[in-house]
Amino acid sequence: MVLLNSMDELLSHIKEVQQDVIQLSSESLLMISNFIEKNGLEVDNDVATALQYQDIISQQLNATIEAINSVQSSMDRFSHSYQMDENLVVESMKKFQDKLSVVLCEAKDKKSRFSGKFANGDAQTDEIEFF
Amino acid sequence: MPLVIFVDDSETALASTRMVTNSMPIEVKQYTEAQVALAEIKAGMTPDLIITDLNMPVMNGLEFLQALRAHPSTSRTPCLMLTTETKVELKEQGKALGLTGWIVKPFNPAQLKQAITRVLRLPA
Repeated sequence: MVLLNSMDELLSHIKEVQQDVIQLSSESLLMISNFIEKNGLEVDNDVATALQYQDIISQQLNATIEAINSVQSSMDRFSHSYQMDENLVVESMKKFQDKLSVVLCEAKDKKSRFSGKFANGDAQTDEIEFF
Repeated sequence: MPLVIFVDDSETALASTRMVTNSMPIEVKQYTEAQVALAEIKAGMTPDLIITDLNMPVMNGLEFLQALRAHPSTSRTPCLMLTTETKVELKEQGKALGLTGWIVKPFNPAQLKQAITRVLRLPA
């Protein structure tokens, strides 16, 4: 269980770093956009597009934070079961493994879904889809 | 001037849209929470166009759209989804709720301007 505790601490650390990156990149972008607005500067299409990357970065990182939360929760349940009854360890391990597979699938799905025009590395069209 | 409201939980996304719309002949209001925008609509605000993100906490874009369609003053107001999501099933859900169009982030500023101009029938 010491191993799981260390993993839990490491995952918590990764989440903290990710949250800091989200916050810093957001503050940085807001400072730049405030400067642009305050000085009435006109941005071209490339800059306006680049300024939107932060939103995609933060959605991607938030999705991985959600995945880490799920893993930590499963680790916690596994650890609890193990402490209650060592005979349940095989069954608990199987459940833990299954949960990790589900979390990985969901995380990969979100990576693709939240990538916008960068999904699957394809350069997608700028056309707006009207219904 | 026509009123356009933007709803996105990301302040940086809202800042990006502001840079595109500030030169347009429209009034813009921005919200980081769909439920706040909805409350203002229920209190009497009548937007001419609603542009919303999809993935938001508390109330997502499709839930917001559903609530808008259930309210008499916005049951037919044009709505555009501005999102990183590209899932066909979600687009279909939006379409069924009377969504006007789907814009994938990062948006092309010129295209967003054209879309607003087209939906509001502004002079080009």
